[in-house]
Amino acid sequence: MKIKVAGTGLTKFGELWSKDLLDLALDASNDAINESRLTKNDIDAVFMANMLHGKLTGQDHLGALVASSLGIKGASFRVEGACASGGLAVHLAIQSLLAGTYKNVLVVGAEKMTDAHVSEIISALMGAGSEQERKAGLTFPALYALMAKAHMQKFGTTRNHLASVSVKNHYHASMNEKAQFPFEVSMEKVLESPVISSPFTLFDASPITDGAGAVILTSDSTTPGVFITGSAVATDSVDLSSRKSLLEIAATKQASIKALKQAGVEIKDIHLAEVHDCFTIAEILAMEDLGFCKKGLGGEFVQKGHTRLGGKIPVNTSGGLKACGHPVAATGVKQIIEITHQLQKRAGKRQVEGANVGLTHNVGGSGATVVVHILQS
Amino acid sequence: MIGIVSYGVYIPKFRIKPSQIAKTWGKEVSEIEKSLGVFEKAVASYDEDAITLSIEAAFRALLNGEIDPKLIGGITIGSESHPYVVKPSSTTVAEILGMGTDYLAADLEFACKAGTAGIQLLSGLVSQGKTKLVLAIGSDVAQSKPADVLEYTASSAAAAFVLGKTNTIASIVDFTSFSSDTPDFWRKDSEKFPSHAGRFTGSPAYFDHVLHASKHLFAKTKMTAQDFDHVIFHMPNAKFPKEAAKKLGFNPKQLAAGFIVEKIGNPYSASSMVGLAATLDVAKNGQLIFMCSYGSGAGSDAFVFEVTPEIKAYQKRNTETVARQIKNKEYIDYSLIAKNILTKYKI
Amino acid sequence: MSTPVAIWRQHKTLSPYLNKVGKLIVWTKIFVAPSGFEHQTPYLVGIVDFGDHKMPLQIVDCEEADLKLNLKVITVIRKIGKAKAEDVIEYGVKVKPL
Repeated sequence: MKIKVAGTGLTKFGELWSKDLLDLALDASNDAINESRLTKNDIDAVFMANMLHGKLTGQDHLGALVASSLGIKGASFRVEGACASGGLAVHLAIQSLLAGTYKNVLVVGAEKMTDAHVSEIISALMGAGSEQERKAGLTFPALYALMAKAHMQKFGTTRNHLASVSVKNHYHASMNEKAQFPFEVSMEKVLESPVISSPFTLFDASPITDGAGAVILTSDSTTPGVFITGSAVATDSVDLSSRKSLLEIAATKQASIKALKQAGVEIKDIHLAEVHDCFTIAEILAMEDLGFCKKGLGGEFVQKGHTRLGGKIPVNTSGGLKACGHPVAATGVKQIIEITHQLQKRAGKRQVEGANVGLTHNVGGSGATVVVHILQS
Repeated sequence: MIGIVSYGVYIPKFRIKPSQIAKTWGKEVSEIEKSLGVFEKAVASYDEDAITLSIEAAFRALLNGEIDPKLIGGITIGSESHPYVVKPSSTTVAEILGMGTDYLAADLEFACKAGTAGIQLLSGLVSQGKTKLVLAIGSDVAQSKPADVLEYTASSAAAAFVLGKTNTIASIVDFTSFSSDTPDFWRKDSEKFPSHAGRFTGSPAYFDHVLHASKHLFAKTKMTAQDFDHVIFHMPNAKFPKEAAKKLGFNPKQLAAGFIVEKIGNPYSASSMVGLAATLDVAKNGQLIFMCSYGSGAGSDAFVFEVTPEIKAYQKRNTETVARQIKNKEYIDYSLIAKNILTKYKI
Repeated sequence: MSTPVAIWRQHKTLSPYLNKVGKLIVWTKIFVAPSGFEHQTPYLVGIVDFGDHKMPLQIVDCEEADLKLNLKVITVIRKIGKAKAEDVIEYGVKVKPL
């Protein structure tokens, strides 16, 4: 496929008290449209990704809300797949372009989380899990903690391995002015912060964030910009207990195999990646499931520094979900934007030298949905 | 003859000593232990209530008796801590036990004798031939006002008895009941905690009803205390049942098997019923058991049971004896009780 | 928490879960809870293998230190979460060490 990213727009990620969801979506969308040199009239469709807004505020019908607020009268859709909503919106937008139905589309992912009470947010996020998981009093930190426990039991992964993910991503975020936490943290800080769900501390978990990201995608391959050459989705059970193994996210493997095939590249050809580190263990699993290292060795792989800027395969130069922030549905779009900027050599201090092929990995729930994209310059 | 076919008991594992409660409120421990004679009491967890306790006890009764729940035609739950004022505990318990829909269910309240009232009432269904098996439960997560003297004894437990005509382990030889309007202990719907009338709860309340009911049953059955191998009274503390026993001519040995109050406190509707279960755990074929419950408000239900030869095989099947559950304990401090108060009263 | 009708359907599914024995595969101690579970913190949740299927369940009546891989656990029926004043109480399956 030869889809082009014609424009990008990203808000600051953080506690943005004076902005509501629509403000965020419009800020990002307008920046993306302006960068693309297209006009509102050129946009055929708006794919709006959001997970929580209906539940938290009662406002649904977001596709129409965002599109009409932008003055776009074409098609509009809301896309939801838990934390993979952003990636799914990109994927569906691409399908509409490949089908020839639309020529230029706007994909915007936005989330407004900080208006609600913490326990309400934790409950709302559990919408990405199963009913039985909710009845058991589980939370997303707890679900990933169970996966971390299994990984520690089987492979001897340690809390230090987990913490090194957080430390590395904070280092990257310190060079990203859009990040929620643009500062470094030490191993001690991560290991000694309050336990939220054993063995995770506060610093093993991505935060509650407001933010939005938008991209203009076009099937006009003469447009200057980066190509998306692979886009694939895979699905597994919503319920963690029903998975074949707690030691992997099988849908990651499935989606990446498909996406890499579409792009005509192998995992060893990837120069950098944005992966879904909702919790530290998730990044370790991603390293293994995407094939950057062998199963069981993900912790070591990160701890050795291979995924740090300057290393073999820089991962999450944006700061990842942990340090850049995780406005749920915006993340998948932000990942596309980060890789796009890297391939366009616009990443400033966190620029990866010689970056030409990048990968994004966006996960919904505890691994029920995975979306993988391949981008090439 | 109608009798007990099987039974089950559930005692929560947490225990608190009076010293922990006294410490919390700045009271003198030794005085309390001396006057009440309760050494520790059972405390239910924050996610337990009279319904969950009933399910545990009743399930064990069904398991021990190898009884298909669908054959139970009547269920009563006697409690002072029914989770709802309007909505029966007995139907929730019946549903979860798998009893189906062909049964009579009723929730009973009569302070600490609501459970035994159920035994008398349900036995009527069986003797009329309306159904073959019935289930009488006494279950409480007893409430008491924090810092009140009742807090040292009010505890949690449940006992369930399946009654029927065949394969009984103990026959119900006879029973009687003695009732009057006596305001010794009460709680209106609008109130969180019960109130009591101090020393009035002794002689005109507990003793008047227990002694009268017991003497009436002695007369009816033409028996005296000497005829019995075991006796169980409602145990609000260690003193009252010992005194009642003495007054009626029973000796301490007869009281021993069912005397559970020192180890688990007073689980209200389950008190005499858990005592009866503890007695049946060790009783022998042919032995006679006398039981007299007491419920404030007030009334006493008195029973004579005769143990059958079936008891031996039953005791082999019953792994969760009262003694075993009394032993399976973990000491706690006041924090769980504080948590339960916050949770229950939505503070 | 669930609506009365959802609870009604749910209670009908509980009787097969009485007294079931399974083994504990993984567990975690939760300190930050969702709405309706705040009164329980900290509490333990794990995945239990019943042979023919696995389930996520709360683990009660024990401490984290009591838990180990493949620990035998048995089901109990307890209250799920905390019903609001006007709600129906929900009962459900949890496990405790055997």
